[in-house]
Amino acid sequence: MDRVRAFKTVLWSILGLAASVGITRFVFGLGAVTNLTDQTPWGLWIGFDVVSGVALAAGGFVITATVYILGKEEFRPIVKPAVLTAFLGYIAVIVGLMFDLGLPWNIWHMIVFWQHHSPLFEVGWCVMLYTTVLLLEFSPVPLEEASRYAKIRGFLMKYRLLFVILGIMLSTLHQSSLGSLFLIMPYRIHALWHTPILPILFLISAVGLGLMMVCLESLVTSFLYRRHTELQLLSKLGRAAAWALLLYFIVRIGEIVIAGDFGLIFNGQWESYLFTFEMLFAVIIPMILLFVPAVRRTLTGMWVCSIMVVLGFVINRINTSGVSMIRNAEGYFPSWMEFAVSAGVVSAAILAFMFMVEKFKVWEYKACQRDEEADPHAIAHFDRASQAWLGEPDYSGRIKYSLAFIIAAAVGFALIPGSKIYSEGKVSNPTSKARGGDTLVVDGNRDYNYVVFDHKTHEVNNGGEESCVKCHHMNRPFDRQSGCWECHSEMYIESDAFGHDWHASPNGGKLSCDECHAEGIFRSAENTKKCSECHNDLIPADAAIAIEKYNARSYVDAMHKMCIDCHEIKTVELERAGMTQCAFCHDQEYNIRDILVIDDLEERFNQNWLIVPLKK
Amino acid sequence: MKAILTDITKCIGCNQCVIACKNTYNLPSEIPRHWQTGDGLSARNWTTVIRKPDNHFIRKQCRHCQEPACATACPVAALHKTPEGPVVYDSHKCLGCRYCMMACPYGIPRYDWDQPIPYVRKCIMCYPRIKEGRQPACTEACPTQATIFGERDELVAEAKRRLKENPDKYINKIYGLHEVGGVNVLYISDIDLDCLTMGRDLQEYPLPKTTSAAMNSVPFVFVGMGAFMTGLHWIIKRRMKLQNEKENGGANNG
Repeated sequence: MDRVRAFKTVLWSILGLAASVGITRFVFGLGAVTNLTDQTPWGLWIGFDVVSGVALAAGGFVITATVYILGKEEFRPIVKPAVLTAFLGYIAVIVGLMFDLGLPWNIWHMIVFWQHHSPLFEVGWCVMLYTTVLLLEFSPVPLEEASRYAKIRGFLMKYRLLFVILGIMLSTLHQSSLGSLFLIMPYRIHALWHTPILPILFLISAVGLGLMMVCLESLVTSFLYRRHTELQLLSKLGRAAAWALLLYFIVRIGEIVIAGDFGLIFNGQWESYLFTFEMLFAVIIPMILLFVPAVRRTLTGMWVCSIMVVLGFVINRINTSGVSMIRNAEGYFPSWMEFAVSAGVVSAAILAFMFMVEKFKVWEYKACQRDEEADPHAIAHFDRASQAWLGEPDYSGRIKYSLAFIIAAAVGFALIPGSKIYSEGKVSNPTSKARGGDTLVVDGNRDYNYVVFDHKTHEVNNGGEESCVKCHHMNRPFDRQSGCWECHSEMYIESDAFGHDWHASPNGGKLSCDECHAEGIFRSAENTKKCSECHNDLIPADAAIAIEKYNARSYVDAMHKMCIDCHEIKTVELERAGMTQCAFCHDQEYNIRDILVIDDLEERFNQNWLIVPLKK
Repeated sequence: MKAILTDITKCIGCNQCVIACKNTYNLPSEIPRHWQTGDGLSARNWTTVIRKPDNHFIRKQCRHCQEPACATACPVAALHKTPEGPVVYDSHKCLGCRYCMMACPYGIPRYDWDQPIPYVRKCIMCYPRIKEGRQPACTEACPTQATIFGERDELVAEAKRRLKENPDKYINKIYGLHEVGGVNVLYISDIDLDCLTMGRDLQEYPLPKTTSAAMNSVPFVFVGMGAFMTGLHWIIKRRMKLQNEKENGGANNG
């Protein structure tokens, strides 16, 4: 049982990790844990948990159809595990969907508010009904344990054929309708994945995939519980799957050829490689291998083929549900937290499966049953006389599992990036260079005593594009072109360029004191953090004036310093006298009302407009 | 059918429409977040003005399709097309599947990604105001009449008149007249409006048509599959029975 215990410990750890992420998701919203955006509203949770999950659970209806409709009694031993896999698979789909839905407590709305044009409405209903049918199909197995349920069991067994047929009808519908979901987005999904026959492709691949999933499940449980593998049966399933894959291959490639998109497969774009990889991995290679009897009659061959098909079609489903447009989507890639939840849902389903096979006769026997005669202490029991457990206590694994779960959950909580939660998704706002005009009117006093500033000439004389940062040294966060006056707001005294109250306010920056002021030191402007430590794009790297602290010079000082300092240097360099004189800039040659483009000059000046472009 | 016509050549990018919208619905101010797209639309900005080179400004908002893909996609009819024209949203019905966001050919609906109780958000063409007989807040606020509100037919005629009067000024096309079956927010422009359509050329067929064939065949597939399986079962059972009888009979005779 060591394999089983080790495997369960791993599963419980994954579940712990998923639990931490799941709780965070419900407390802080989807943005706190996922990389989903307004442009890619569906991600891994839909592509894997839901769309792949339903397809992976297709084994149930395929195997029941084989046994009950086609009358192939030889497959009866794998009916129960296949139905159980399907049932737990559907439960996992519903649970996975709960994490993805924004308002999961409203899921019952589908029963009340009908919208029969929606493929999702149909999928939802079919999944609900089919899960119920699967429950009815499987419940005779646990009911077998207690004789008082014999009547119910007898009733369920009597109508089993009806359930099987209902199951096939519902499965056909929703397996194909999962494909119909994507028909409505031809502009979103790449032409290699989007075809009008998506529902048919989804149904065919679900049959092939369902068969191979049954194989994989059988192989894995044989390995874990060291039981005999029904290789004979599995290779027959493999052959059937190969035919399904061949049909899928012909239909899919045929459709692409007819639609005239064949060139897209080889055009060397990212999608073409993705498509080629998907087809080779999921369809072509396993199909060829499965057609070779020597391969499908070996354990290794079946392992390889089933893993390839399962993984390959998971990739196919994820591609179809939106990742094939990864480049349009500015590179959505799931966060580790999304992977953790998906893995956690699968782990929970596997644990439930293991519980069922250990407690009930899913196979011909219970998984944990041992030979009592050969090893009488193998099955643990509590001996009342000696007040001690004989054999291994049946809770022996539980301590390990709970520890694994709790530690993983703790690690998960520690790893979840707080920045993503507490910043509520804020990103650093890029500051861009000012656009500038040819000629500007600078009027710091707002008293119409302006300076006409020839921006173009200054730009050209100081080195073109690269000269911007000589004067324009910062933009305020979230602003694209801050006017000088926005920081140098006082004419003659230093002003506050830093909104202290805003940064400390819970509605604003939400910063605690010690995030800027070091502990234990007198809190003053002088010994705080530099602005640029957080706003790392506030000041261009090559800016001539480096601003580090909160205060801004008075407007006059700032302007004069910047202009006069430069003019003093230039007047020597260019040997041009008068450049440093006041009247060189402050002349009153123009009538300002003649030269301005803006009609509502008065109003704009009152609104603190400092710089307005001039008419040519 | 009410509609909005936006003339890109008249827009001066003053953002009055955005402010009017935000004031009407008490939308809080927005800061950049990692889930936003570059266009400025978000759960708190239902309309936005995109800046383009050479002082061109493009107002982006929900296009209120005549046959909306979002309303077809929604499994609980939380989004629906009103007879007056707007496509509106009922947050009480929504279950948060975001299929509408996937289905929209313009990529318009936005999500409250930071909320534990999130809703889908988009322009509703001020449906409550339209019902009162007033025009939407954004068109009312526009100082240059760049975006105007009215009956769709009248606006189409007006757009055609402008295109005819100034053929050199405009691209000879009314954006939204026929694409995806026609929409109720129309544009005329002197620059290309690719940025409104996720970069793909939209065809004229309405998107609900793409799923209707599959959805209409659902009952037939359901019943057909049931009949087929029952029939198959009956035939196979009968064959096996006959074979058994034959074998047994043969054994008896022998």
